[in-house]
Amino acid sequence: MTTPAILSAWAQTPERSNMLMLRAMTWISLHLGRRAARVVLHLIAGYFLLFAPASRRASGSYLKRALDRPVRWRDLYQHFFTFAATIHDRVYLVNHRFDLFDFEVHGEDTLQRLLAEGNGLFLMGAHLGSFEVIRAMGRMDKDLRVAMLMHEDNAQKINTMLAAINPEAVQDIIGLGHIDSMLRVRERLDDGCVVGMLVDRTPADDTLYPVQILGSHANLPTGPFRMVALLRRPVVFMTGLYLGGNRYSIHFDLLADFSAVERGERDAAIQAAITRYAVLLDKYCRKAPYNWFNFFDFWRATPPKSS
Amino acid sequence: MQDNQKPNISSTADLRQEVAQLMVECLNLEVTADQISPDAPLYGDGLGLDSIDVLEVALVLSKRYGLQLRSDSADNQHIFSSLRSLADYIATHKTL
Repeated sequence: MTTPAILSAWAQTPERSNMLMLRAMTWISLHLGRRAARVVLHLIAGYFLLFAPASRRASGSYLKRALDRPVRWRDLYQHFFTFAATIHDRVYLVNHRFDLFDFEVHGEDTLQRLLAEGNGLFLMGAHLGSFEVIRAMGRMDKDLRVAMLMHEDNAQKINTMLAAINPEAVQDIIGLGHIDSMLRVRERLDDGCVVGMLVDRTPADDTLYPVQILGSHANLPTGPFRMVALLRRPVVFMTGLYLGGNRYSIHFDLLADFSAVERGERDAAIQAAITRYAVLLDKYCRKAPYNWFNFFDFWRATPPKSS
Repeated sequence: MQDNQKPNISSTADLRQEVAQLMVECLNLEVTADQISPDAPLYGDGLGLDSIDVLEVALVLSKRYGLQLRSDSADNQHIFSSLRSLADYIATHKTL
């Protein structure tokens, strides 16, 4: 999720003042409206542009690949603004203000068809656009239940943040790193739930698989794909791309269906799924370049610890 | 509930060997079954299994012995703590 990024990067101040800022932003957002609150977002984007050189370098290095042309200052600004805007919109999504937005949904039939089978499914996203827009899907399908799988320390940050935005908002989170984390995942799936996760950042201890993203070599973690294969479920790629104004386009693309993949075919199927994930990530980065929210050098040899 | 009424049976060396063999096969471990010490931790330090490995082992053992391993069991930490405790649990709860 993007939360750790908010807490650590937004204004780059200690966590307590971040929470204060988040509460203040929430208040402004809900009481003064989205338009007034967005003035503040321009200040945040400007702040990043001027005072966060490491983020600016990472942004430039990514945009050069995604745009395939020289990067201008306004591109960097647009990138930071898109980041701030999607984080800000979470305030409304968490408070169920779906009426404020214009969502176009692609591939919903794929999602519905797989959900109708009743065995649950995995949604794999990236730090690309907003995963939170999945909440908007709940408006159309009341039975849609989503549990997010993530590292335990991030789970705690998310809960603190949600409590600040809307004390009644609940997020079903399965923390990684417990001996029975995977048994929990299996039980949610057996109940017909969707289990979501962001898999573009690689934990230090995971096995890596080399892929090409935006014309350069990158590594993706194999662990999440192994889990999906073992639990023999379909896995769908999801991203909610911010298109400016109040518009988002939500995309669901079938990545792989491991329901009938036997043991002997597993490794090949996992590799095919990771490769397809990279292809989709590449495609959506080019489609909506400013939605990439990995503000570190993604293409370097040793990735940072995942969030 | 009925699980709790089952007596605790200690596993035999044969069952431990069989469970170790299943783990080695399903995880492609680079050790042989008799190199797995009955009392060394399976998870994290020790044999070095991660939670996905534990899932894989749980799936294989459930099928082989007709077990129901559930996440709401407070005993999971104990069950997977070592080969001995895992085999003891299987000896007590197996239905196949």
